[in-house]
Amino acid sequence: MLKLMKYEFRKTWITKLILLGVTAVAEIAFLIGLYVERETTLGLSVMLLMFLALGGILMIGLYSVMTLHRDMNTKQSYMLFMTPNSRYSILGAKVLECGLSILIGGAFYFALGTLDLTLLFAKSGELNRLWSAIQDFLSHLTFANHQLLIDMEGMAAFVFCLLAGWILTVITAYFAVVISAALLNGKRFNGLLSFVLFLALSWFVGWVARTVTASIPSINTLLLVDGAISLAFTAVMYMITAIIMERKLSV
Amino acid sequence: MLESKEITKIFGTKAAVDHISLRLEKGHVYAMLGPNGSGKTTWMKMAAGLIKPTSGQMLFEDKPVDIDSRRKIAYMSTESFFYTWMTVKDVGAYYADFFDDFSWDGYRAMLRQMELEESMKTKALSSGMMAKLKIAVTMARDAKVYMLDEPFNGIDLLARDNIRRCILEHADENKVLLLSSHLVEEMEAIADKAVFIRQGKLAEVDDLEEMRVDRGASMADRYREIYGHTEE
Repeated sequence: MLKLMKYEFRKTWITKLILLGVTAVAEIAFLIGLYVERETTLGLSVMLLMFLALGGILMIGLYSVMTLHRDMNTKQSYMLFMTPNSRYSILGAKVLECGLSILIGGAFYFALGTLDLTLLFAKSGELNRLWSAIQDFLSHLTFANHQLLIDMEGMAAFVFCLLAGWILTVITAYFAVVISAALLNGKRFNGLLSFVLFLALSWFVGWVARTVTASIPSINTLLLVDGAISLAFTAVMYMITAIIMERKLSV
Repeated sequence: MLESKEITKIFGTKAAVDHISLRLEKGHVYAMLGPNGSGKTTWMKMAAGLIKPTSGQMLFEDKPVDIDSRRKIAYMSTESFFYTWMTVKDVGAYYADFFDDFSWDGYRAMLRQMELEESMKTKALSSGMMAKLKIAVTMARDAKVYMLDEPFNGIDLLARDNIRRCILEHADENKVLLLSSHLVEEMEAIADKAVFIRQGKLAEVDDLEEMRVDRGASMADRYREIYGHTEE
């Protein structure tokens, strides 16, 4: 499994390296803007960092789905499927590599954001307008009609819930890709059918999570339960996908 | 050693392989012959565990092909299948990571024989060089069964001699070698058994020596008799 994960990482590391490089440039611009007190540079770098945090995590997941699609539908599939590994391991390595990348990436950007906000807070006397704007933005964040708590615990629970939800979305996309390759291959409207299946499953999981968490009054508990439901569905989706691969997939 | 029992693979409405029962015994080099689309590649891919049969069974040492059989069966596809980011060295490292029977020394010796450098990028290789790389990495395994799909495709005469020599070096009484090719004359110099497949069905299996002695026919003659006037 570790060897499979190594090669899964090898397929995506250049994309991640580029993301890290651009983040480093944005962070340097942020620090320059902060200490030279140039609000325009600071504002732009904050926007860029927020975009990179969100876009980067989205990109890791999307790229992982594209890699799976390539590994199912091109001759490169032989590289994986002729090795003495079960399809549970092959898919498991992909899920773990992608899930860990999303969690580590999310934790990295959360830590970076916390650090930058701390620095900004320390200088908020001089940069009052920008700090107020960020506080205003954060105070408008809501989840399931609850206002988020703007403290470390509240933000951590929110980030965990978002990341777990994104991992589940990626695994649901894996499921759709495998259904397309294993069961709908060669059939008309293959792509459309698997996309509709992806949307239907995403809606169903969302409905289950909303129903289960509807009566939870505390926003932080709600976020944690929602994230846990996402991870539980991720495990179920992985098992179903792997069984289909094991029994039906020809490459 | 490797056996299919009534194995069938249907794509859509077409049977690519149609109830083929075939047993390959160790100690022989088999030539699998047939025109394009006759089912050779599909049969090999089912033996390699890449394609799931619609019905029937593929057995290795009397057990259905599975993870364990992939440890002992070396399959070389006719298509290029390496990751494009790989160098020739990366390809060796990949095989070394996943196949316990892979030999770095054997791989490097074959790379020298094939005039390939470890630093070469696979995406920059010509079709001939790619064919040689596929042979080198596949034959660097100490497998029980080697299945080579069109090993001479896109390869010049001199390289073909190298590949033929390399294949024959791996033939021994405990191994099965199965090769498919359109170059019937080329195969005649390597194989001792011929498997003729026609429109997804097994036409016949011949011992080439017997065919030459008893019928005074070559593999090419038999090929013409089986496929002439109907498919080519």
